[in-house]
Amino acid sequence: MFSLTRRRVTGLMAGVALVAGLGAAQAQEDDIVIGGSIPLTGVFAFAGVAIEAGMQDYITQVNEAGGIGGRNLRLAYEDTGYKVDQSVAVFNKLTSQDEIHLYYGDSTGFAKTIAPELNRMGGMIMGGASFASELNDPEEHPYMFMAGPDYSEMIAILMEYIAEETPGAKIVLVNSDTEFGRDPIESSRAKASELGLEIVEEIITPPTAVDVSTEVLKLRRARPDYTIFHGYILAPLPEFMTQAQQLGLETKFMGTFWSMDSSIWDSVGEPADGFMGVMPYRYYYDEEADAPTMAKIREMRPEYQATGYMQGYLSAMLMAESARRVLDQGQELTGTNLKAAMNTIQDFDTGGLIGIPISIPGNSVPVGRVYQYSAAEKKMQPVSDWITVTE
Amino acid sequence: MIIGTAKETYRADAALLTTPPQRVWMAIFLAALLVLPFMLDAYWLYLVCLAMINVGAATGLNILTGYTGLVSLGQAAFMAVGAYTVAWLERDLGTPMLVNLAAAGGVAAAVGVLVGIPSLRVKGLYLAIATIAASFILHFVFVHWVPVTGGASGISVPPATFFGVELVTYFRLYWVILPVTALMVLGAANLFRTRIGRAFIAVRDRDISAEVLGIPLLRYKLMSFGIASFYAGVSGGLWAYFFRVVTPESFPLLASIFLLAAIIVGGMGTILGGIIGAIFMTLAPEMLRFVVEWVSPWVPNAGTLLSPLRTVVFGAMIVGFLVFEPQGIAEIVARVRRYFRLWPFRT
Repeated sequence: MFSLTRRRVTGLMAGVALVAGLGAAQAQEDDIVIGGSIPLTGVFAFAGVAIEAGMQDYITQVNEAGGIGGRNLRLAYEDTGYKVDQSVAVFNKLTSQDEIHLYYGDSTGFAKTIAPELNRMGGMIMGGASFASELNDPEEHPYMFMAGPDYSEMIAILMEYIAEETPGAKIVLVNSDTEFGRDPIESSRAKASELGLEIVEEIITPPTAVDVSTEVLKLRRARPDYTIFHGYILAPLPEFMTQAQQLGLETKFMGTFWSMDSSIWDSVGEPADGFMGVMPYRYYYDEEADAPTMAKIREMRPEYQATGYMQGYLSAMLMAESARRVLDQGQELTGTNLKAAMNTIQDFDTGGLIGIPISIPGNSVPVGRVYQYSAAEKKMQPVSDWITVTE
Repeated sequence: MIIGTAKETYRADAALLTTPPQRVWMAIFLAALLVLPFMLDAYWLYLVCLAMINVGAATGLNILTGYTGLVSLGQAAFMAVGAYTVAWLERDLGTPMLVNLAAAGGVAAAVGVLVGIPSLRVKGLYLAIATIAASFILHFVFVHWVPVTGGASGISVPPATFFGVELVTYFRLYWVILPVTALMVLGAANLFRTRIGRAFIAVRDRDISAEVLGIPLLRYKLMSFGIASFYAGVSGGLWAYFFRVVTPESFPLLASIFLLAAIIVGGMGTILGGIIGAIFMTLAPEMLRFVVEWVSPWVPNAGTLLSPLRTVVFGAMIVGFLVFEPQGIAEIVARVRRYFRLWPFRT
């Protein structure tokens, strides 16, 4: 009779582990590996899941088309819970397991923590979910890039739009009391005075503020034409907007990239109508003719994909393009070569993911477009052309 | 009382390691710690270093909460004070690493004593709330005292140097973190062989009786806060050298809860408990990664699907330990030791 003794169970488990280990080690040797510290749990999981999907889809497409110089792309990623120490752990784990030249990081904190190590290793370039202005410094962070405008550039895009629409407009800045939230405040002041806009009030709230009535009163006193939020995902924006509507304020509310996913506004409903913000990519449902990439995405994924998906998709695209350019030149995949190759990207066609050809002169892609939410259609609709900002 | 270990002197009675097997195991353990960095890759070295930093901070909290009975949810904030001290000294003054670490402990201890003042009046949950309040105040200071703390974006710490060697790899940092942590743990273990440590235990067991016995409560409670914060400060200083950037978000309230959970899971009021708890809390989520990895050949998209499960399993493990091992994991070790007391004559 075969009875389960402790020894047998242990033996079985060891056997299973062994087989599993072999299975895991099947991956191809000459794959080009993109490493990823991606938040699949925790507060940022909604974005992480979308980012992962976007990166995987682009990688699948590249591999189906024969890979890069005959080598397949592969995404090796693990969950970080959006915690810096775990992100670093994942980074160390993945770089010990594979030879990695391209990496996706999940937060500003992680990017800043790993930056000295990145500079020391010099073997890879890193993109990620952070658009922190601090990282957009090719001197300090030669191996970083971001697949969009940095937070300062996002606000600059919004202000360019405002200056066009309402010259001399009054603006209130509402920022969360976090590194993320405080990031663009100073550059916003400079940009506003450059464009002749007036910042009449700056409000800092806790990141999870629930009761915002005193802040709304400040808004009422300031009577701004535009209110720009930064450093939040959703809350407390709907609360602000509802209360402002009740008070009959005429101000227009704006946000930055991470607040711009239209599915999060769908659940807010009517008060969300008219919310505007900057978005570097096209939306999933954007069916303009010159966007074969968008058509391809809709073909691969029949259901709506969040903005994080587009961000992941473009990140993977830029990484792959840089690797392709390096390999085409017969060079080695090093951080310096990859970044130099990335900086040669000029008037690059993303297939309509971004509506105009893009260039990457430094660490960022300083392009975006202002969209406005329509509660009736449950969609974000473009209200401006593509705006490029350069320092 | 273990058979065959009759103690003839007070010295023997108060010894840290009382039996030969204990000494042998400790020697093996120490030897393993010395060999370890030569055998591990960057990932494991990183985890070992991180675990050691947490061991230091958890041991400090164990002195305060486990031994003195003062519940604190401010340990991470004291770590932050230490980390900022190191970052500031390293950036602005460029003083030597060991001086910075000592200063980190000192400054954190001073802040800790200040925060500990209410502990004479409030106990238990009330004290926990008071310490939470302190961590919010400290957070405010970190964000707004821009010339010193660098505001919201924090301070990037230059690498530590030791006699001209830049400590940039985990391998090199290991040789700083290990001795510092070992010294702190040794100090904690020794503390409870002295009048001070025993006074802490008396305060924990019944503070009024302790006062009747002639233990000035305020002084000892503040001393406990000071020592715990010193530990947190030094660990925070190591943390700053390890992660090389300190921001106000580096040490959230959750990190304090993490440390409290570590000593509860490990076993409050035992030195071993603090060590095991910190190691468990640091490594268990990482070990669960390998479970995800093992099943990934069979489950499509395992990373995305199973990662949330990893958090759930980790939570369940903590609850499991609390239910089935309320004295902490250290109690398992104690039970194993009891089992081998008469081995091999009786098992």
